[in-house]
Amino acid sequence: MTRYAKIADLAGYLPPKVLDNDELAALYPSWSADKIFEKTGIRTRHVAGEDETAGDLAFAAARALFARGTIAPEDVDFVILCTQAPDYILPTTACLLQDRLGISTSAGALDVNLGCSGFVYCLSLAKGLIESGSAKCVLVLTADTYSKYIHPLDKSVRTLFGDAAAATAVVACDAEQPQIGPFVFGTDGSGANNLIVEAGGARTPRSAETAVEQSDDSGNVRSRDNLYMAGAKIMAFSLSEVPRAAAALMDKSHTSTEAIDYFVLHQANRFMLEALRKKLKVSEAQFPIHVEECGNTVSSTIPLTLAAMRDNGCFDTEKKLMLIGFGVGYSWAACLLNF
Amino acid sequence: MTKFYEGMAEIFEVEPEAITPEFDLTNANADWDSLAIVSTIALVDDCFNVTLDGESLAACKTIGDIEALVAKAGKE
Repeated sequence: MTRYAKIADLAGYLPPKVLDNDELAALYPSWSADKIFEKTGIRTRHVAGEDETAGDLAFAAARALFARGTIAPEDVDFVILCTQAPDYILPTTACLLQDRLGISTSAGALDVNLGCSGFVYCLSLAKGLIESGSAKCVLVLTADTYSKYIHPLDKSVRTLFGDAAAATAVVACDAEQPQIGPFVFGTDGSGANNLIVEAGGARTPRSAETAVEQSDDSGNVRSRDNLYMAGAKIMAFSLSEVPRAAAALMDKSHTSTEAIDYFVLHQANRFMLEALRKKLKVSEAQFPIHVEECGNTVSSTIPLTLAAMRDNGCFDTEKKLMLIGFGVGYSWAACLLNF
Repeated sequence: MTKFYEGMAEIFEVEPEAITPEFDLTNANADWDSLAIVSTIALVDDCFNVTLDGESLAACKTIGDIEALVAKAGKE
Protein backbone atom coordinates (compact mmCIF):
# COMPACT_ATOMS: atom_id res chain seq x y z
CA MET A 1 0.00 0.00 0.00
CA THR A 2 1.20 3.46 -0.86
CA ARG A 3 0.19 6.92 0.25
CA TYR A 4 -1.98 8.52 -2.40
CA ALA A 5 -4.23 11.59 -2.57
CA LYS A 6 -7.98 11.17 -3.06
CA ILE A 7 -11.07 13.36 -3.07
CA ALA A 8 -12.83 12.60 0.21
CA ASP A 9 -15.82 14.92 -0.21
CA LEU A 10 -17.06 18.08 -1.88
CA ALA A 11 -19.75 20.72 -1.52
CA GLY A 12 -20.92 23.72 -3.52
CA TYR A 13 -22.42 27.10 -2.79
CA LEU A 14 -24.57 29.31 -5.04
CA PRO A 15 -25.39 32.85 -3.90
CA PRO A 16 -29.15 33.38 -3.45
CA LYS A 17 -29.70 36.10 -6.07
CA VAL A 18 -30.87 34.66 -9.42
CA LEU A 19 -30.75 36.06 -12.96
CA ASP A 20 -33.16 34.28 -15.32
CA ASN A 21 -33.67 34.28 -19.10
CA ASP A 22 -36.84 36.43 -18.98
CA GLU A 23 -34.88 39.21 -17.32
CA LEU A 24 -32.09 38.90 -19.92
CA ALA A 25 -34.50 38.71 -22.89
CA ALA A 26 -36.06 41.98 -21.76
CA LEU A 27 -32.63 43.63 -22.15
CA TYR A 28 -31.67 42.03 -25.49
CA PRO A 29 -34.40 42.68 -28.09
CA SER A 30 -33.09 40.15 -30.65
CA TRP A 31 -33.01 37.21 -28.19
CA SER A 32 -36.04 35.53 -26.61
CA ALA A 33 -35.84 33.64 -23.30
CA ASP A 34 -36.39 30.39 -25.25
CA LYS A 35 -33.56 31.17 -27.65
CA ILE A 36 -31.17 31.85 -24.75
CA PHE A 37 -32.05 28.50 -23.19
CA GLU A 38 -31.87 26.65 -26.50
CA LYS A 39 -28.40 28.00 -27.32
CA THR A 40 -26.81 27.86 -23.87
CA GLY A 41 -28.74 25.19 -21.96
CA ILE A 42 -28.88 27.69 -19.10
CA ARG A 43 -32.14 28.78 -17.40
CA THR A 44 -30.74 30.68 -14.42
CA ARG A 45 -27.44 32.02 -13.17
CA HIS A 46 -26.73 32.90 -9.57
CA VAL A 47 -25.17 36.29 -8.95
CA ALA A 48 -23.17 37.47 -5.93
CA GLY A 49 -24.64 40.37 -3.97
CA GLU A 50 -23.02 43.79 -4.13
CA ASP A 51 -21.09 43.22 -0.89
CA GLU A 52 -20.52 39.51 -1.48
CA THR A 53 -17.00 38.60 -2.68
CA ALA A 54 -15.50 35.41 -4.08
CA GLY A 55 -13.90 35.03 -0.63
CA ASP A 56 -17.40 35.06 0.90
CA LEU A 57 -18.63 32.44 -1.57
CA ALA A 58 -15.59 30.24 -0.86
CA PHE A 59 -16.22 30.66 2.88
CA ALA A 60 -19.84 29.49 2.46
CA ALA A 61 -18.78 26.51 0.33
CA ALA A 62 -16.16 25.48 2.91
CA ARG A 63 -18.77 25.73 5.70
CA ALA A 64 -21.11 23.56 3.62
CA LEU A 65 -18.31 21.01 3.22
CA PHE A 66 -17.53 20.98 6.98
CA ALA A 67 -21.27 20.61 7.72
CA ARG A 68 -21.21 17.30 5.84
CA GLY A 69 -18.91 15.97 8.57
CA THR A 70 -16.24 14.25 6.45
CA ILE A 71 -13.53 16.72 7.45
CA ALA A 72 -13.36 19.45 10.11
CA PRO A 73 -11.48 22.78 10.03
CA GLU A 74 -8.85 21.35 12.42
CA ASP A 75 -8.03 18.55 9.93
CA VAL A 76 -7.02 21.00 7.20
CA ASP A 77 -3.27 21.58 6.85
CA PHE A 78 -3.30 23.38 3.49
CA VAL A 79 -5.75 25.77 1.79
CA ILE A 80 -5.70 26.41 -1.96
CA LEU A 81 -8.12 29.02 -3.30
CA CYS A 82 -8.60 29.32 -7.05
CA THR A 83 -10.10 32.68 -7.97
CA GLN A 84 -9.78 35.53 -10.45
CA ALA A 85 -11.67 37.91 -8.17
CA PRO A 86 -9.56 38.15 -4.99
CA ASP A 87 -10.93 40.16 -2.07
CA TYR A 88 -7.87 42.46 -2.19
CA ILE A 89 -4.90 43.03 -4.50
CA LEU A 90 -3.03 41.87 -1.41
CA PRO A 91 -3.05 40.03 0.97
CA THR A 92 -3.86 36.57 -0.42
CA THR A 93 -7.55 35.69 -0.02
CA ALA A 94 -6.63 32.12 1.06
CA CYS A 95 -4.88 33.64 4.12
CA LEU A 96 -8.08 35.49 5.08
CA LEU A 97 -10.05 32.27 4.68
CA GLN A 98 -7.65 30.33 6.96
CA ASP A 99 -8.57 32.76 9.72
CA ARG A 100 -12.29 33.04 8.93
CA LEU A 101 -12.69 29.26 8.77
CA GLY A 102 -10.82 28.58 12.02
CA ILE A 103 -8.09 26.57 10.29
CA SER A 104 -4.83 26.05 12.19
CA THR A 105 -2.08 28.65 11.84
CA SER A 106 0.26 25.74 11.03
CA ALA A 107 -1.58 25.31 7.70
CA GLY A 108 -0.21 26.57 4.39
CA ALA A 109 -2.43 28.77 2.21
CA LEU A 110 -2.15 30.19 -1.27
CA ASP A 111 -4.24 31.56 -4.11
CA VAL A 112 -4.16 30.23 -7.65
CA ASN A 113 -5.10 32.72 -10.37
CA LEU A 114 -6.69 30.50 -13.02
CA GLY A 115 -10.19 30.35 -14.48
CA CYS A 116 -11.90 27.42 -16.15
CA SER A 117 -8.86 25.12 -16.00
CA GLY A 118 -8.27 25.94 -12.32
CA PHE A 119 -9.91 23.01 -10.56
CA VAL A 120 -7.79 20.42 -12.38
CA TYR A 121 -4.63 22.44 -11.67
CA CYS A 122 -5.56 22.66 -7.96
CA LEU A 123 -6.05 18.88 -7.84
CA SER A 124 -2.54 18.44 -9.24
CA LEU A 125 -1.12 20.79 -6.57
CA ALA A 126 -3.07 19.02 -3.79
CA LYS A 127 -1.87 15.64 -5.02
CA GLY A 128 1.72 16.88 -5.07
CA LEU A 129 1.47 18.25 -1.51
CA ILE A 130 -0.04 15.02 -0.20
CA GLU A 131 2.01 12.46 -2.06
CA SER A 132 5.26 14.28 -1.24
CA GLY A 133 4.33 14.06 2.45
CA SER A 134 3.97 17.85 2.83
CA ALA A 135 0.25 17.81 3.74
CA LYS A 136 -2.47 15.36 4.76
CA CYS A 137 -5.68 17.30 4.16
CA VAL A 138 -5.86 19.97 1.48
CA LEU A 139 -8.94 22.19 1.26
CA VAL A 140 -9.34 23.11 -2.40
CA LEU A 141 -11.64 26.11 -2.81
CA THR A 142 -12.80 27.47 -6.16
CA ALA A 143 -14.77 30.72 -6.23
CA ASP A 144 -15.46 33.44 -8.75
CA THR A 145 -17.70 36.43 -9.27
CA TYR A 146 -17.37 37.17 -12.98
CA SER A 147 -20.75 38.95 -12.76
CA LYS A 148 -18.90 41.91 -11.23
CA TYR A 149 -16.76 42.17 -14.40
CA ILE A 150 -19.62 41.83 -16.89
CA HIS A 151 -21.35 44.79 -18.52
CA PRO A 152 -25.14 44.35 -18.11
CA LEU A 153 -25.63 44.85 -21.87
CA ASP A 154 -23.03 42.29 -23.02
CA LYS A 155 -25.19 39.28 -23.86
CA SER A 156 -22.19 37.33 -25.21
CA VAL A 157 -21.03 36.72 -21.63
CA ARG A 158 -23.93 37.70 -19.36
CA THR A 159 -26.07 34.84 -20.69
CA LEU A 160 -23.31 32.32 -19.85
CA PHE A 161 -21.51 33.10 -16.61
CA GLY A 162 -22.80 32.60 -13.08
CA ASP A 163 -21.15 33.14 -9.68
CA ALA A 164 -20.49 30.19 -7.38
CA ALA A 165 -17.98 28.44 -5.18
CA ALA A 166 -17.06 24.85 -4.39
CA ALA A 167 -15.04 23.23 -1.62
CA THR A 168 -13.22 19.95 -2.17
CA ALA A 169 -11.41 17.90 0.49
CA VAL A 170 -8.33 16.19 -0.90
CA VAL A 171 -6.87 13.82 1.71
CA ALA A 172 -4.15 11.18 2.09
CA CYS A 173 -5.16 7.53 1.87
CA ASP A 174 -3.41 4.16 1.58
CA ALA A 175 -4.22 2.53 -1.74
CA GLU A 176 -2.84 0.12 -4.33
CA GLN A 177 -3.30 2.61 -7.19
CA PRO A 178 -3.21 6.39 -7.59
CA GLN A 179 -6.72 7.83 -7.10
CA ILE A 180 -6.00 11.14 -8.87
CA GLY A 181 -3.92 11.38 -12.06
CA PRO A 182 -2.06 11.13 -14.28
CA PHE A 183 -2.31 14.70 -15.55
CA VAL A 184 -1.65 16.49 -18.80
CA PHE A 185 -1.33 20.28 -18.93
CA GLY A 186 -1.36 22.94 -21.61
CA THR A 187 -0.84 26.68 -21.89
CA ASP A 188 -0.97 29.10 -24.81
CA GLY A 189 -0.62 32.69 -23.64
CA SER A 190 -0.94 33.92 -27.22
CA GLY A 191 -4.71 33.62 -26.64
CA ALA A 192 -4.66 35.94 -23.61
CA ASN A 193 -6.55 38.78 -25.29
CA ASN A 194 -9.49 36.57 -26.28
CA LEU A 195 -10.85 36.20 -22.75
CA ILE A 196 -9.75 39.12 -20.63
CA VAL A 197 -10.58 41.88 -18.17
CA GLU A 198 -8.01 44.29 -19.53
CA ALA A 199 -8.12 47.15 -17.02
CA GLY A 200 -7.60 47.03 -13.28
CA GLY A 201 -4.21 45.31 -13.05
CA ALA A 202 -0.73 46.84 -13.18
CA ARG A 203 -0.50 46.82 -17.00
CA THR A 204 -3.59 48.94 -17.54
CA PRO A 205 -4.86 50.65 -14.38
CA ARG A 206 -8.53 51.64 -14.42
CA SER A 207 -9.14 55.19 -15.56
CA ALA A 208 -11.83 57.39 -17.08
CA GLU A 209 -10.48 56.24 -20.44
CA THR A 210 -10.75 52.50 -19.73
CA ALA A 211 -14.32 53.04 -18.48
CA VAL A 212 -15.52 54.37 -21.86
CA GLU A 213 -18.27 52.07 -23.12
CA GLN A 214 -18.39 50.87 -26.71
CA SER A 215 -20.85 48.83 -28.74
CA ASP A 216 -19.58 45.93 -30.91
CA ASP A 217 -20.92 44.56 -34.24
CA SER A 218 -23.38 42.29 -32.42
CA GLY A 219 -24.76 45.17 -30.32
CA ASN A 220 -22.97 44.16 -27.11
CA VAL A 221 -21.79 46.98 -24.87
CA ARG A 222 -18.63 46.89 -22.76
CA SER A 223 -15.63 48.95 -21.62
CA ARG A 224 -12.04 47.87 -21.02
CA ASP A 225 -12.96 47.51 -17.34
CA ASN A 226 -15.35 44.70 -18.30
CA LEU A 227 -14.95 41.04 -19.20
CA TYR A 228 -14.44 40.50 -22.93
CA MET A 229 -14.75 37.15 -24.65
CA ALA A 230 -13.99 36.56 -28.35
CA GLY A 231 -16.51 33.73 -28.66
CA ALA A 232 -15.40 32.46 -32.07
CA LYS A 233 -11.76 32.28 -31.01
CA ILE A 234 -12.64 30.49 -27.75
CA MET A 235 -14.77 27.97 -29.67
CA ALA A 236 -11.96 27.29 -32.15
CA PHE A 237 -9.42 26.94 -29.31
CA SER A 238 -11.66 24.53 -27.39
CA LEU A 239 -12.48 22.38 -30.42
CA SER A 240 -8.81 21.98 -31.21
CA GLU A 241 -7.16 21.65 -27.77
CA VAL A 242 -9.73 19.71 -25.69
CA PRO A 243 -9.78 16.58 -27.90
CA ARG A 244 -5.98 16.76 -28.14
CA ALA A 245 -5.67 16.90 -24.32
CA ALA A 246 -8.08 13.97 -23.94
CA ALA A 247 -6.09 11.92 -26.47
CA ALA A 248 -2.78 12.80 -24.78
CA LEU A 249 -4.15 11.72 -21.39
CA MET A 250 -5.51 8.42 -22.76
CA ASP A 251 -2.15 7.79 -24.35
CA LYS A 252 -0.26 8.64 -21.16
CA SER A 253 -2.51 6.47 -18.98
CA HIS A 254 -2.91 3.63 -21.53
CA THR A 255 -6.67 3.87 -21.28
CA SER A 256 -9.55 4.13 -23.79
CA THR A 257 -12.85 6.01 -24.06
CA GLU A 258 -14.75 2.83 -23.14
CA ALA A 259 -12.77 2.44 -19.90
CA ILE A 260 -13.91 5.88 -18.66
CA ASP A 261 -17.30 5.96 -16.89
CA TYR A 262 -17.73 9.73 -17.10
CA PHE A 263 -16.07 12.59 -18.93
CA VAL A 264 -16.59 15.63 -16.70
CA LEU A 265 -15.57 18.68 -18.70
CA HIS A 266 -15.52 22.30 -17.67
CA GLN A 267 -19.19 23.27 -18.07
CA ALA A 268 -18.81 26.20 -20.47
CA ASN A 269 -22.35 25.98 -21.91
CA ARG A 270 -24.44 23.20 -23.42
CA PHE A 271 -23.74 24.22 -26.99
CA MET A 272 -19.97 24.03 -26.65
CA LEU A 273 -20.19 20.82 -24.61
CA GLU A 274 -22.33 19.15 -27.28
CA ALA A 275 -19.79 20.13 -29.95
CA LEU A 276 -16.97 18.70 -27.82
CA ARG A 277 -18.93 15.53 -27.02
CA LYS A 278 -19.37 14.79 -30.73
CA LYS A 279 -15.71 15.47 -31.36
CA LEU A 280 -14.62 13.21 -28.49
CA LYS A 281 -17.04 10.51 -29.72
CA VAL A 282 -18.45 9.99 -26.23
CA SER A 283 -22.03 8.87 -25.45
CA GLU A 284 -24.50 11.23 -23.74
CA ALA A 285 -24.64 8.83 -20.76
CA GLN A 286 -20.87 9.27 -20.22
CA PHE A 287 -21.01 13.05 -20.55
CA PRO A 288 -22.80 14.97 -17.78
CA ILE A 289 -24.04 18.49 -18.52
CA HIS A 290 -24.74 20.61 -15.46
CA VAL A 291 -25.39 24.20 -16.50
CA GLU A 292 -29.17 24.65 -16.39
CA GLU A 293 -29.44 26.07 -12.89
CA CYS A 294 -26.08 27.82 -12.46
CA GLY A 295 -24.50 28.58 -15.87
CA ASN A 296 -20.73 28.64 -16.40
CA THR A 297 -19.24 29.10 -12.93
CA VAL A 298 -15.61 29.18 -14.13
CA SER A 299 -13.34 27.07 -11.87
CA SER A 300 -16.30 25.69 -9.89
CA THR A 301 -18.08 23.95 -12.78
CA ILE A 302 -16.30 20.60 -12.39
CA PRO A 303 -16.66 20.23 -8.59
CA LEU A 304 -20.31 21.45 -8.75
CA THR A 305 -20.99 18.81 -11.42
CA LEU A 306 -19.27 16.12 -9.32
CA ALA A 307 -21.34 17.14 -6.27
CA ALA A 308 -24.59 16.98 -8.28
CA MET A 309 -23.62 13.56 -9.71
CA ARG A 310 -22.77 12.32 -6.22
CA ASP A 311 -26.19 13.49 -4.97
CA ASN A 312 -27.81 11.59 -7.88
CA GLY A 313 -26.07 8.37 -6.86
CA CYS A 314 -23.59 8.22 -9.76
CA PHE A 315 -20.75 7.37 -7.38
CA ASP A 316 -22.49 4.79 -5.18
CA THR A 317 -19.93 2.41 -6.65
CA GLU A 318 -16.45 3.71 -7.53
CA LYS A 319 -16.18 5.20 -11.00
CA LYS A 320 -13.33 6.20 -13.29
CA LEU A 321 -13.58 9.77 -14.54
CA MET A 322 -11.72 12.02 -16.90
CA LEU A 323 -11.77 15.70 -15.89
CA ILE A 324 -10.87 18.39 -18.44
CA GLY A 325 -10.65 22.10 -17.61
CA PHE A 326 -10.00 24.64 -20.37
CA GLY A 327 -10.35 28.35 -21.00
CA VAL A 328 -8.96 31.74 -20.00
CA GLY A 329 -5.18 31.99 -20.45
CA TYR A 330 -5.39 30.00 -22.65
CA SER A 331 -4.90 27.31 -20.04
CA TRP A 332 -6.04 23.71 -19.97
CA ALA A 333 -5.47 20.51 -18.01
CA ALA A 334 -6.92 17.01 -17.86
CA CYS A 335 -6.64 14.19 -15.34
CA LEU A 336 -8.11 10.85 -14.43
CA LEU A 337 -9.93 10.47 -11.12
CA ASN A 338 -11.25 7.49 -9.20
CA PHE A 339 -14.26 8.66 -7.23
CA MET B 1 -30.27 18.16 -48.11
CA THR B 2 -26.83 18.00 -46.54
CA LYS B 3 -26.16 17.98 -42.81
CA PHE B 4 -24.41 21.32 -43.25
CA TYR B 5 -27.45 22.99 -44.86
CA GLU B 6 -29.75 21.55 -42.19
CA GLY B 7 -27.45 22.94 -39.52
CA MET B 8 -27.35 26.38 -41.16
CA ALA B 9 -31.17 26.36 -41.35
CA GLU B 10 -31.27 25.70 -37.59
CA ILE B 11 -28.81 28.50 -36.89
CA PHE B 12 -30.91 30.99 -38.87
CA GLU B 13 -34.23 29.49 -37.74
CA VAL B 14 -35.48 29.17 -41.34
CA GLU B 15 -36.90 26.25 -43.36
CA PRO B 16 -34.14 23.94 -44.69
CA GLU B 17 -35.27 24.66 -48.28
CA ALA B 18 -34.36 28.32 -47.78
CA ILE B 19 -30.65 27.44 -47.50
CA THR B 20 -28.91 27.61 -50.88
CA PRO B 21 -25.43 28.79 -51.88
CA GLU B 22 -27.02 32.17 -52.67
CA PHE B 23 -28.61 32.53 -49.20
CA ASP B 24 -27.78 36.05 -48.05
CA LEU B 25 -26.24 36.01 -44.56
CA THR B 26 -26.61 39.74 -44.22
CA ASN B 27 -30.31 40.06 -45.10
CA ALA B 28 -32.81 41.26 -42.55
CA ASN B 29 -34.00 37.75 -41.64
CA ALA B 30 -30.55 36.29 -41.07
CA ASP B 31 -28.85 37.44 -37.91
CA TRP B 32 -25.16 36.89 -38.84
CA ASP B 33 -23.97 37.87 -35.35
CA SER B 34 -21.25 36.50 -33.08
CA LEU B 35 -23.50 33.68 -31.85
CA ALA B 36 -24.32 32.57 -35.41
CA ILE B 37 -20.61 32.64 -36.24
CA VAL B 38 -19.68 30.57 -33.18
CA SER B 39 -22.47 28.12 -34.06
CA THR B 40 -21.17 27.86 -37.63
CA ILE B 41 -17.62 27.13 -36.45
CA ALA B 42 -18.95 24.17 -34.43
CA LEU B 43 -21.18 23.00 -37.31
CA VAL B 44 -18.38 23.13 -39.89
CA ASP B 45 -16.06 21.33 -37.49
CA ASP B 46 -18.67 18.59 -37.05
CA CYS B 47 -19.53 18.27 -40.77
CA PHE B 48 -16.11 18.70 -42.39
CA ASN B 49 -13.56 18.35 -39.56
CA VAL B 50 -12.23 21.80 -40.41
CA THR B 51 -11.87 24.70 -37.95
CA LEU B 52 -12.69 28.04 -39.56
CA ASP B 53 -11.41 31.37 -38.35
CA GLY B 54 -14.08 33.69 -36.91
CA GLU B 55 -12.88 36.79 -38.76
CA SER B 56 -12.95 35.07 -42.18
CA LEU B 57 -16.42 33.75 -41.38
CA ALA B 58 -17.66 37.19 -40.33
CA ALA B 59 -16.61 38.50 -43.76
CA CYS B 60 -18.77 35.91 -45.59
CA LYS B 61 -21.83 37.31 -47.36
CA THR B 62 -23.49 34.07 -48.53
CA ILE B 63 -23.62 30.36 -47.72
CA GLY B 64 -21.54 29.87 -50.89
CA ASP B 65 -18.79 32.03 -49.35
CA ILE B 66 -18.73 29.73 -46.29
CA GLU B 67 -18.51 26.67 -48.55
CA ALA B 68 -15.59 28.25 -50.39
CA LEU B 69 -13.85 28.87 -47.04
CA VAL B 70 -14.37 25.24 -46.06
CA ALA B 71 -12.99 24.03 -49.41
CA LYS B 72 -9.95 26.28 -49.03
CA ALA B 73 -9.30 25.24 -45.41
CA GLY B 74 -9.69 21.56 -46.36
CA LYS B 75 -6.84 21.88 -48.86
CA GLU B 76 -4.43 23.50 -46.43
